Amino acid sequence: MLLIAGTVPDKDIGLAFGEARLKNGILDVSGVEISRTQGTAAMISAAAVTLDYLGIKTPPCAAIAGDIGNGTGSRKLYKYLISELPGIEPDVLALHYLMPIIPQMVKLVDCAEKMSKKPTLIADAGSMYAVKAAGLSKKFALMTPDRGEMSFLADPEATHPAYIRHHLMGNDGRGVPELINDLYQNGSAPDTLMVKGSTDYIANKGRIVETVSKPDVPEMEAIGGTGDTHNRHMSSLFF
Amino acid sequence: MGIFGRKKKNNASSAGRGIVLIREVPDAMRGEKKLGKVGFYTRLVAPPPEFREGCDLAIEIDIMEMPAIERKLGEEGIPFMKIIPLGNESTEPVDIVNVVRYADSVMVKAGNMKMTFDHSSGLILNVSGGGCPDVPYLYAIYVGENLQKARKPRDIGFTLCALMLDRAFEECLKIYAG
Repeated sequence: MLLIAGTVPDKDIGLAFGEARLKNGILDVSGVEISRTQGTAAMISAAAVTLDYLGIKTPPCAAIAGDIGNGTGSRKLYKYLISELPGIEPDVLALHYLMPIIPQMVKLVDCAEKMSKKPTLIADAGSMYAVKAAGLSKKFALMTPDRGEMSFLADPEATHPAYIRHHLMGNDGRGVPELINDLYQNGSAPDTLMVKGSTDYIANKGRIVETVSKPDVPEMEAIGGTGDTHNRHMSSLFF
Repeated sequence: MGIFGRKKKNNASSAGRGIVLIREVPDAMRGEKKLGKVGFYTRLVAPPPEFREGCDLAIEIDIMEMPAIERKLGEEGIPFMKIIPLGNESTEPVDIVNVVRYADSVMVKAGNMKMTFDHSSGLILNVSGGGCPDVPYLYAIYVGENLQKARKPRDIGFTLCALMLDRAFEECLKIYAG
């Protein structure tokens, strides 16, 4: 099972868990209907379409909770996953928009590590921030940062991209390959990194194995949801 | 146990924590109480020596919640000097702003957040980047709004992503005003 967990921007939605299906352009998670265009919902929808395209009959499962930024839904989700993950037994656990609450992320990853069959762990968005800040990146199979987030991952002290040391912001001539190297040298990288940008870099276990420079459509950077969608294609392929 | 050792929720390390520097001890104690009451993680601590500006008491917080905490302290009329992250060499949020101009629109990037607007109408076309839960919420609020009529992201959002979006928003306003 591919399990995707993250928040959705509606404070009236409580915790929902179940199979995720697209119905007439609306995403349905265990009877809860949400718009599929942004954030966690975009990634769940992309995963559903990708699994269907690959001929995998089992739809993705999703654990969602409403959260407009005050962390209420995130706390519910952390608590639920820490308690229920061993019973759910996902093959792949992809974490997305969650308030970066570091102690909770530590507990969640510890819970996954103790399972008899540890799920493949993937993190993006706020989950990636929490994983990095907690020093747990090495336990993850995949992260998909952009250039700015690479600077954050490569800064050993930063606990959020808002507090990156300036020399890592790309104004010192250091490019993505150097930051990727720093990250693996620090021992704080996941197995696989996919760095999104005008050139995409795919690195595995310390080595850049592929770059993708074409097509390059600069306007894509100004369209919200592209990274969310892309991450879920990758998660589905991992599954 | 003394107030410096009092914890409200957990024993996590300083990773992801920040402190509110407050000049007057009674204000710090009142702030800790008000913030804790509405569910924020709080702990009264001594500020690091390099940040003692006459104060001797600070409130430890979850730095991710900085804008919401600033707003709550403002609502309660509790004066504070500054909020800084703990354990970071950098104590100021990223202030580098990048501007990308497209044919009909402008994208402003501040830290990990981006805002794009139509440069002739001022209509906000996109909000993206970041990873905190208020980013999709802010997207839903801002896209389709006019820059000059929209409220500031720091007055609506809760997290450091909202703070970065606020910086992008301010720059968008400057560019649009010419």
